[in-house]
Amino acid sequence: MTTLSQETLEKSLKIFNKTIVGGTLFTLDKLLNVLGGLSPKFKQELKEHNITVQLRLRDNSYGRWFTFQDGVVSGRDGINKDCIVEMIFDDEASARRVTALIRSQFDFVNAAKQGQIVLNGPDAEAMWFSSLLLKVFAFDVLYLGNYGTKMPNGEMRYVTGTNGGPLFVYVKDDKIIRVTPIDFDNEDADMWTIEARGQKLTPPKRTTVAPYAQGWKQMVYSPNRCLYPMKRVDFDPDGDRHYENRGVSGYERISWDEALDIVSKEMVRVRRTYGPGSIFASTGSHHNWGSIGYYLSCAKRFFNCIGATMCMHNPDSWEGWAWGGQHHFGGSARNGGTEPYGTVEDCLKNSEFIVFWSSDPESTSGNYAGQEGTIRREWINKLGIPVVHIDPYQNATAAFVRGRWICPRPATDSALGIAIANVWMHEGLYDKEYVEQRTYGFEKWEEYVLGKTDGIDKTPEWQEDITGVPARTVRALARYWGTHKTYLACGSMTSFGSAGRAAFGTEWARVCVCLIAMQGLGKPGVNFGTLQYGTPLDTKFWFPGYADGGFSGDFMTSGAGVALYNRMPQTPSINSEYQAIPRLLLPEAIMGQEVTWHQLGVYSVHSQFMQLHYPAPGHERVRMYYKYGGSHMGTQPDSKRYAKQYRNDSLEFVVNQSVWFEGEARFADIILPACTNFERWDIGEFASCGGYIDKSYLQNNSRVIFVQHKCIEPLGESKADFDIFQEIANRLGLWQVYSEGNTEYDWAKRYYEATDMKRVMSWNQFIKKGYYVVPPCSEGRRDPVAFRWYAEGRKKDTPELTPLPSEYYGRYGESLQTPSGKLEFECQTLKRFDPNDEERLPICTYIHSWEGVGSEPYAKYRLQLISPHSKYSFHTMGDLKDTCINDIQEHRMLIDGHRYWIFRMNTKDAEERGLKQGDIVEVYNDRGKVLCGLETTERVPQGICHSYESCADYVTLENDPGGDDTTEIMGCINNLTPGRFITKHAHGLSVNSCLVEVRKWEGGKVG
Amino acid sequence: MKKFHMIIDLEKCVGCFNCMLACKDEHVGNKWLPYTEEQQKHEDKWICPTMTERGEAPYTEVTYVTRLCQHCDNAPCAKKYPDVFVKRSDGVMLIDYRKAKNKDLVDACPYGMVSWNEELGCAQKCTGCSHLIDDGWKEPRCVQTCPLRALQTVYCEDNEWDKIVEKQGLKPITDGSNKPRVMYKNLYFYNKCFVKGALCFDQDGIEEAAIDAKVELLVGGICVAQTQSDFLGEFYIDRIPKNSGKMQIRATYGEFEPIIADFEIKTKSVVLDALKFGGGSGKPAVILPNEHANEQALTHMIPKDAEAARKAFADKK
Repeated sequence: MTTLSQETLEKSLKIFNKTIVGGTLFTLDKLLNVLGGLSPKFKQELKEHNITVQLRLRDNSYGRWFTFQDGVVSGRDGINKDCIVEMIFDDEASARRVTALIRSQFDFVNAAKQGQIVLNGPDAEAMWFSSLLLKVFAFDVLYLGNYGTKMPNGEMRYVTGTNGGPLFVYVKDDKIIRVTPIDFDNEDADMWTIEARGQKLTPPKRTTVAPYAQGWKQMVYSPNRCLYPMKRVDFDPDGDRHYENRGVSGYERISWDEALDIVSKEMVRVRRTYGPGSIFASTGSHHNWGSIGYYLSCAKRFFNCIGATMCMHNPDSWEGWAWGGQHHFGGSARNGGTEPYGTVEDCLKNSEFIVFWSSDPESTSGNYAGQEGTIRREWINKLGIPVVHIDPYQNATAAFVRGRWICPRPATDSALGIAIANVWMHEGLYDKEYVEQRTYGFEKWEEYVLGKTDGIDKTPEWQEDITGVPARTVRALARYWGTHKTYLACGSMTSFGSAGRAAFGTEWARVCVCLIAMQGLGKPGVNFGTLQYGTPLDTKFWFPGYADGGFSGDFMTSGAGVALYNRMPQTPSINSEYQAIPRLLLPEAIMGQEVTWHQLGVYSVHSQFMQLHYPAPGHERVRMYYKYGGSHMGTQPDSKRYAKQYRNDSLEFVVNQSVWFEGEARFADIILPACTNFERWDIGEFASCGGYIDKSYLQNNSRVIFVQHKCIEPLGESKADFDIFQEIANRLGLWQVYSEGNTEYDWAKRYYEATDMKRVMSWNQFIKKGYYVVPPCSEGRRDPVAFRWYAEGRKKDTPELTPLPSEYYGRYGESLQTPSGKLEFECQTLKRFDPNDEERLPICTYIHSWEGVGSEPYAKYRLQLISPHSKYSFHTMGDLKDTCINDIQEHRMLIDGHRYWIFRMNTKDAEERGLKQGDIVEVYNDRGKVLCGLETTERVPQGICHSYESCADYVTLENDPGGDDTTEIMGCINNLTPGRFITKHAHGLSVNSCLVEVRKWEGGKVG
Repeated sequence: MKKFHMIIDLEKCVGCFNCMLACKDEHVGNKWLPYTEEQQKHEDKWICPTMTERGEAPYTEVTYVTRLCQHCDNAPCAKKYPDVFVKRSDGVMLIDYRKAKNKDLVDACPYGMVSWNEELGCAQKCTGCSHLIDDGWKEPRCVQTCPLRALQTVYCEDNEWDKIVEKQGLKPITDGSNKPRVMYKNLYFYNKCFVKGALCFDQDGIEEAAIDAKVELLVGGICVAQTQSDFLGEFYIDRIPKNSGKMQIRATYGEFEPIIADFEIKTKSVVLDALKFGGGSGKPAVILPNEHANEQALTHMIPKDAEAARKAFADKK
């Protein structure tokens, strides 16, 4: 056996590597020319620059240089010092790793990070050359369109994701023909079966969609699309900017170069002039889908590169749970949400009663989950489980599941809950052993509930004048609940719900936790659950969700730190500016006020006690607003403020990057037209959020992981958000920093390679078929039931990494995330923070709304308005945009040529005001006036009315947006809702405590 | 030959309107000649659910009735315009788009399911997605996107269909004389009435729900339906034909004298809220705010808000 000396080995390897590198580079020019011949589009790109490029080893021991001339490439060995672009490899080995045609992206990134490859030259040319090389690797996909499934009739079938479920997208001649839900084929995994009460329950083998997904084709082709970069006609960046005309004056088309130059110059000017914090960035609510080109990935990476004051979102679905519920039982990583695991099976098998309380998964699709949960709620009746729905509005879930409906007045739910506890305490109808062993501070709460502290015994009779629900109903409900194993269904998944988005909505969420604690949370048949979340799917198969950070590189403020960062190597990215503005006080902050608030943290329960200030020390007030995604006006309270903030000189420059011209896009100085995710590459999973809703795909009947094909070319001159950010980054010298030189397609592939998808399907198969169904667990492999470990006093065995280790005050994994480790009736976190906070005491209490029956505004306004999350749109996504979704007569009402937002009130209330079905009505209070179409209904009782939040647009009749005495005509119902926080130490909205009056509109035709 | 039939189950409809949206998705911006021209973008829906309510809060029942061309075998449209409305051999009724330029065609359908495309100036309607079915699709678009298959197509021989109709108790939405190929299940949610109510009694000065009371529906003194009050003391008897006239609820509970409540069914459902054993009536299911409620509210308000409220009410007086 011959032994080569180390020296000889290294030498031979060097020669070998050099030969391969030389060979590859020798063929490069020929390859590029051949590809140019195969694809006119590629040829066109080759023609973009006439330059010379040098590739060489650092020591000049090998080099080859290329001339690009009118789309023809020629190469020559040697060193040419005059080349414009220069790509330098540290040594033969790194050159070989990087240039090999079948190479590892991982090696490439590492080589770049370690300085083993260097690219010199002007940004535009260097980037162009570098991306050209990358495109070679994806040539068949990007230029030959070798992806998707060809149908017998010549149509191509692609796949994409939306926030209403994944879609098959049928395309012919670059035009979308149709979009459909996905019917699985024979190759796809079969569905699971739950055996309950002698029945076998199996969901159908397909996906479902929400209406706003079924309507997506028309959103792509909406006449309201932003198709060209626009400049407000009277905005002159070098002269008068006419701030006062934002939202009023029109727009003119400009070139991309002009638009991007203005934006990048303003970014530099503002930061140079004012310093850190002066650029403000805010994202919107869920207008797209994807792990790469979406707000927690590309936008986060971009704004981190720039350094920006970020908009801090209030948890506008969780609210009461985040600021109240979690103090009793933890769950900070889920904003106060509960564990979901195994609850669907447990509920179907073991529960004897289901209480839906402010719970409407049928309207909100849970969250992103199409109509997946619907069949499980159909099974409720199949199995004969009795249900009751508690909601001021007979919501879609109550209408579908049927059962009994109890309608308390808005924001009085905690009184109803306390009275239920009162009955249980008086009559001994609770799990005393559990309360004794598994909970803390029960006596403190019992004293309050029984009136030992304030002399008021909080009986069902006590709550009658508060809630409007007869005492006998509450007592009967309490007795039935107290003697039957009960699932408590709160909000659309668990731990959401419009009752939590009301004055002191914290107390509703808190009473829910206390009630379930009294009945033994985690025991068979006793848990939180709406049958929406907690299906028996495989949680071990690893594929992260969109909130896990994508390629953001941000391991601090996305789920990347826990989930993705260590699996998909990427250069880290952190926003160096710590100044922030709370979304609910954004207008005040922009218009010159100093604001103070508490910021919800996910790492611990007590992190929400941290007080923040704007302006932050060492930071400057914001001067430039970079808005991306959906509008805040439709979704945030007292929304006139969000128009007013634009119309003065406190913001020197406003850019809005938007798919559609609506809402806040109307207020920009420059509009950058973004395309939809049908027009670009991405990757994702059905209903998978990750991050703040860990394993949210457990809402589905199957895990469906998909590539998001670029189905058509971007319309007009619109571009992918990813590419818009890239082009601005290029102008700031940040091109490699922003994207690592990768395109969206490259990132999607890198993402795939980081996940378990790589083990089950090749990339080529994946981009051909478009999706993969993760086989569900066999019965023996299913996850343990949520909180069962806790009820049985075992170590936590549910599949999640949270809470963080330091959030256990005793031994790791052996308790809840509370100081006592137990379910706390008296919250020690709140007691430590402020034991005398009358708006949020350590125990759950009933506090009457500042805007309800008997309150100050009740003297003038006698109707209580609730505005829950909408059914036919996902926040603003799906509304307006001139699609057929607006033809749904339960979404908007066509009267005299204008599609009015729907306002629902009780038939008798309408009659008393001389109003009838189909009238145009003016809904008003001291905060504003909104025109709506009237639906008279028995789905709300007298005294209460209903209209969804999240109108996509904001238009005033007087063309004076933000003006004090204006009338909003599109149905932006949040013009009427109060801006006050749900409780003073919480950044949470209280929109469902809102008093209004209604009168017939006499102002004539609008719109 | 296997022919087109459709079942629409009111109990399974969640009111998502996906059917209407999928129909628009397929037909707006796409023309499928010779089956049909493009559908108009807005209005002119070839299929659409309509929400209907019965009862009053909180005894409300909501249902959606989905209407589309009934593809009748004895179709009034085809009788009047035999050259325009053409029946396929699979039972689907099509409009010959070349001959559909007459606006009067719209009135030929008693179900109102022929629409007028203003932009193209032609009458149009549901084609059963025949262009897709002929291309190998198993279901029309409205069905394929329906979450629970509240809409369901059945392609079978007509004699098999008759058995399905009988077995599942399917009903036509009108009298059936047009021999529609679209039949409805659980139609009573739409075209029948119910009586609902609550039962209670007083015990030691406290009003209690009467649970598991025997509840009978009497017509002419004869019991025609029977149920029990539930865990909240509420009862629910459905499927009462409209205009049934006068009838009674007889409720029996323990030692109490049975309650006899008279009511009349015309076109609407009836709510008896709330019947009390031992005489009088119980508290209604929705108690409206009164001065007492205002007082209650003030007791539980944060002091500063309570003060403002007191002042506002004082100012008003």
